[in-house]
Amino acid sequence: MRRAVAALLLCLAWLLAGCGSSEQTVHNPPAAPLESRVLASGNIPRVRAADLARPIAAYRRYVLAELGPMQGDVGRLQSAVAAGDLAAARRAWLAADGRYEAIGAAYGAFGDLDASINGEPGGLAGGVRSAQFTGLHRIELALWGRGSTADASPFAARLASDLRRLRRAVPGIEIEPLEYVLRCHEVLEGSLDLQLSGRASPWSGDALVALRSNLRGTEVVLGSLRPLIARRNRQILPAIDASLLALRRELRSVALPGGSMPRWDKLPAAERTLIAGRAAAAAESLAYVPEVVDPRPPLPQKSALGTEEAG
Amino acid sequence: MSLRRRELLVGGAALGAGAAIRQLPGVSRADAAAPVEGDLSESIPFEGVHQAGVLTPRPRHAIFASFDSIAASRLELAEGLRALSESARELTAGYDALLGSPGEGPTPDSGVVGPRVMPDGLTVTIGFGASLFDRRYGLGPRKPRGLKPMTTFPDDSLVAAECHGDVQVQLCANTEETLLNALRAVSRATRGVLGPRWKIEGYLPSPARETGAGRNLLGFKDGTANPDVANQKTMDALVWAGQETPAWARGGTYQVTRIIRNRVEFWDRVSRSEQELMIGRDKAAGAPLGKSRELDDPDYDSDPKGERIPTDAHIRLARPRTAETEGSRILRRGYNYSRGIDEADQLDMGLVFVAFQRDLERQFEAVQRRLAGEPLVDYIVPTGGGYFFVPPAARDSQDWVGSGLFA
Repeated sequence: MRRAVAALLLCLAWLLAGCGSSEQTVHNPPAAPLESRVLASGNIPRVRAADLARPIAAYRRYVLAELGPMQGDVGRLQSAVAAGDLAAARRAWLAADGRYEAIGAAYGAFGDLDASINGEPGGLAGGVRSAQFTGLHRIELALWGRGSTADASPFAARLASDLRRLRRAVPGIEIEPLEYVLRCHEVLEGSLDLQLSGRASPWSGDALVALRSNLRGTEVVLGSLRPLIARRNRQILPAIDASLLALRRELRSVALPGGSMPRWDKLPAAERTLIAGRAAAAAESLAYVPEVVDPRPPLPQKSALGTEEAG
Repeated sequence: MSLRRRELLVGGAALGAGAAIRQLPGVSRADAAAPVEGDLSESIPFEGVHQAGVLTPRPRHAIFASFDSIAASRLELAEGLRALSESARELTAGYDALLGSPGEGPTPDSGVVGPRVMPDGLTVTIGFGASLFDRRYGLGPRKPRGLKPMTTFPDDSLVAAECHGDVQVQLCANTEETLLNALRAVSRATRGVLGPRWKIEGYLPSPARETGAGRNLLGFKDGTANPDVANQKTMDALVWAGQETPAWARGGTYQVTRIIRNRVEFWDRVSRSEQELMIGRDKAAGAPLGKSRELDDPDYDSDPKGERIPTDAHIRLARPRTAETEGSRILRRGYNYSRGIDEADQLDMGLVFVAFQRDLERQFEAVQRRLAGEPLVDYIVPTGGGYFFVPPAARDSQDWVGSGLFA
């Protein structure tokens, strides 16, 4: 019942889409919550890269504001590891990982530092035994997979120094305008690919922590773009807001007292289905954003109907 | 010695094949069990009295996908099911794909079958599991009486992740790409309302290979003894739900889908004669043992002790052909499947057993009880599936499958 309002909104957006297309003889998937397929029309000028400078600058400030507390989390992680306190080390790790997952829209700009901080063993020759496997997930392997603070120790120190380097670098990093608008749905696509598959955090099972952070980061990106979107297309925002709200409520409903999250791999199948469904529906609604605020020069139109000649 | 034995076997096989060809003209029952090869323009109506994909001939490919409802309300569920039918209606009729254009957001269509989506003999058969009628949506009072969660039988080895589901969608078509396009379209159209639970893909052998029923992955003809789908009286008696169900459900049917793994490596290490005694049919011709043609009556009366066809042979237990058991006949419509490799490095392949019937307990479950402990159980492992009620079809272009649930 808590979900009813959000769901109804989605449902109404959907009904509208159905009504709008009923006269067309061609296929119009109900997945598209739109009356018109043309996302940005009228006399509003297209978004230029310069229009995105301010949102990107705001986002950079957000990243720095997350990395500061993360440095604190990593400091606590180092202390706990030094003291051999596994439980405290795990708590600090979850906090640090949650911070890092909240800035997902900027990963692409971090270069090698991202691989060092958040790399996964899947792409490394030798997997978890690779010398290049460092950072959060290497520490996760130590703390959960091996139950060892000693094993985590060198990697925690390395993480702390990598993070300091990253914080110094962030004010100067280049976030490409196109990359930035794509992140609006790509962060949640990443959650579906890496987190909800259990691949990213197999030892700690913290996919729900990551997803909650990914959602927060998505909302920051969306918020920074909202005025640009709203000027050009008012249809997509209500469906997006409803789908994000539905996901947020689903996450809240499984959170434990105190706000921590249960392990994703221990969540009942029915809850997993709900959360994966809400995340996928949110990604679908967000997928309309990039083209509304696409900073590139317009591409030539093509006939949407493949069998017609292009007009 | 071994050479002579081989000659004997080949001779027997040739005789059987010749016999099967001789009885071809005018046979409709074997044809109904046989896979069909259709073309891209073949269109099977989505609307009608009964849903397509039950009596319609089996095209060569199928996907069975089970979903759980994540709808937050009854209204949202209804809209999701309507969207499912609308998507199915378009896909089965064919349409010009919307491939998208710059400035239009995500691609409307997957495009995997190109700019023109051909019907390709596609059927989309929608079924509801017993769980859909639980407390969530208040649909309990509308539940068809005979619907229940799939029974776990003593010889089963069920894997929870591939069992049951609120909604099952059975997709059948002439080509795999049509199915994959359809699966992506219906999943996307319903993503906010239906969460995927499990799916399995199946195929049938080419009908050009031989006449009669297609072969399963045990190498035996399967489906020969199916009831005659052209006989309306038989179908009304054995398949279609009637007065015993609520008005909205009449003309529907109960579907059993069972993922039955075949232990093919083990099976291949068994002699042909042992295999034939377990099945009750000749491996080459598909004839009941001691008979020459696939459609021959096994004539159990002349073999009361099972000297020709053992009394625990699969076909004999499944359909003893006695007056008391003929009412338990089921309409089978299965597909072979092949997927990964298990922990013991053995092939994971077998049968997506599909049966339609009017009464699960009187038909499928009665057959299952007779089969319990049959010699074949060592070679087959049911791992998943579910029971689903397949409602009557959408009546017209405004109607959708399941609308009667919400009326």
